[in-house]
Amino acid sequence: MQLEVDITGKHFESAAGERHDVLAAIKFSLQAGEVGVFVGPSGCGKSTMLKILAGLDHAYQGQVSRPAEARLGMVFQEPRLLPWRSVEDNIRLATPHIDEKRLSELFAVLELTEHRSHFPGELSLGLARRVALARAFAIEPDFLILDEPLASLDDALAAHLREQIATLVESRAMMTLLVTHNLDDAVYLGDRLFLLSARPARILQEVPIPTPRTRRSATEINHIKADLVRRRLAKI
Amino acid sequence: MLRLLSFLLFLATWWIAALLIGDVKLPAPPAVLAVMLREAASGALFINLGATLARVVLSFTLAMALGAAIGYLMGRVKLADRIGDPWLILLLNLPALVVIVLAYIWAGLTEVAAIAAIAVNKLPTAVVTLREGARALDRSLDEMATVFAIPRGRAFRHVILPQLGPYVAAAARSGLSLVWKIVLVAEYLGRPNGVGFEIGVAFQLFDIPLLLAYSLTFAAVVLVIETVLVQPFELRASRWRPRAA
Repeated sequence: MQLEVDITGKHFESAAGERHDVLAAIKFSLQAGEVGVFVGPSGCGKSTMLKILAGLDHAYQGQVSRPAEARLGMVFQEPRLLPWRSVEDNIRLATPHIDEKRLSELFAVLELTEHRSHFPGELSLGLARRVALARAFAIEPDFLILDEPLASLDDALAAHLREQIATLVESRAMMTLLVTHNLDDAVYLGDRLFLLSARPARILQEVPIPTPRTRRSATEINHIKADLVRRRLAKI
Repeated sequence: MLRLLSFLLFLATWWIAALLIGDVKLPAPPAVLAVMLREAASGALFINLGATLARVVLSFTLAMALGAAIGYLMGRVKLADRIGDPWLILLLNLPALVVIVLAYIWAGLTEVAAIAAIAVNKLPTAVVTLREGARALDRSLDEMATVFAIPRGRAFRHVILPQLGPYVAAAARSGLSLVWKIVLVAEYLGRPNGVGFEIGVAFQLFDIPLLLAYSLTFAAVVLVIETVLVQPFELRASRWRPRAA
């Protein structure tokens, strides 16, 4: 299973009829079991790109080919839970036939067990994000999109959630796309980094990380980060 | 307890006013109660109330169903909004009397004409409220439903409808109060039974105890239905929202 993306352009027209180019050249492919990370300055068009990849926006130039049978799971930047349904029912809405054992395991990994019957309004942002993650993983996706899943969490919480994401990503061979503006997260979770320019976004450079995700030491992560900064590619 | 107190206060005010103004223009509570009992014993009170309630139920249901469907469509589809909007403004501002009289002229003094006229009066407020509801729908939740491939029917039931709930409740509440008022006018003008018809008779005979007997019984029924049916529904529809302190 493979994702092939070749977006050559995407623009919006303002109410005044002005043209705003958002995406310029986004070409890459992603294999099952691989984590691609997009790193770019905020407002560079990452969310627009994700909308296209998720099939929510069809008005662009170029081509995106995603296997028709690939199940899509997505964690949006805001958790997008239904406030009138409990945590468990939010997940069951996306996967009505999930068996109890898998659901319990998922809740255990994400430390959500005690919040099962809570309503989203009663949860902190960090917890709501975890529910959104549980929902995306519950459907057993073949293609997983994570849009800034760690943004606006404090450092300790972000680090903890990052580990949980790493565990879940490891548990299933899927194509994973992560968007972040945080180099730590990118180097910790990714197999290949795509560095994006400012708007209109183009891929400036593709940086593969040869060491498997689970075997990267803190020293190596720091080394890769320093390298990225030195190459002045990360103007983030 | 407070409700009872407020009712007793009303009764006392009425009684005192009756004593001051005199029996001819404002009969005291016992006189009105006697007429109520007489009408109830003959069965006329129940027949008339029943006829009025049946008209309320039919026209209210019709207007809510049509209004909700049209309002939802206008809120979601721009073209429908553009086409429907001038009609909506016209209907919103058309006096109830005009609609009722025209309905009786065109369709005769029939039950269908009466119910249609009442429904047409209520329809635009339901449309406006539900249109607002449809406009306020959270698009990000629509996207979520699309991404997770939730089937349309399920998404409508679990993602869309709960968001519309408070708007349906608001439309029902304002719509019902409108229907309560208009149904009597329609009966007064062209039906051979119902509370409105009886009030018309009382007016022509200057029978104030009869007029008050019907009006107050009607008011009591409205009060009961509002507290027993409408308010619990409103509460249910917005139960997941955080409560104001």
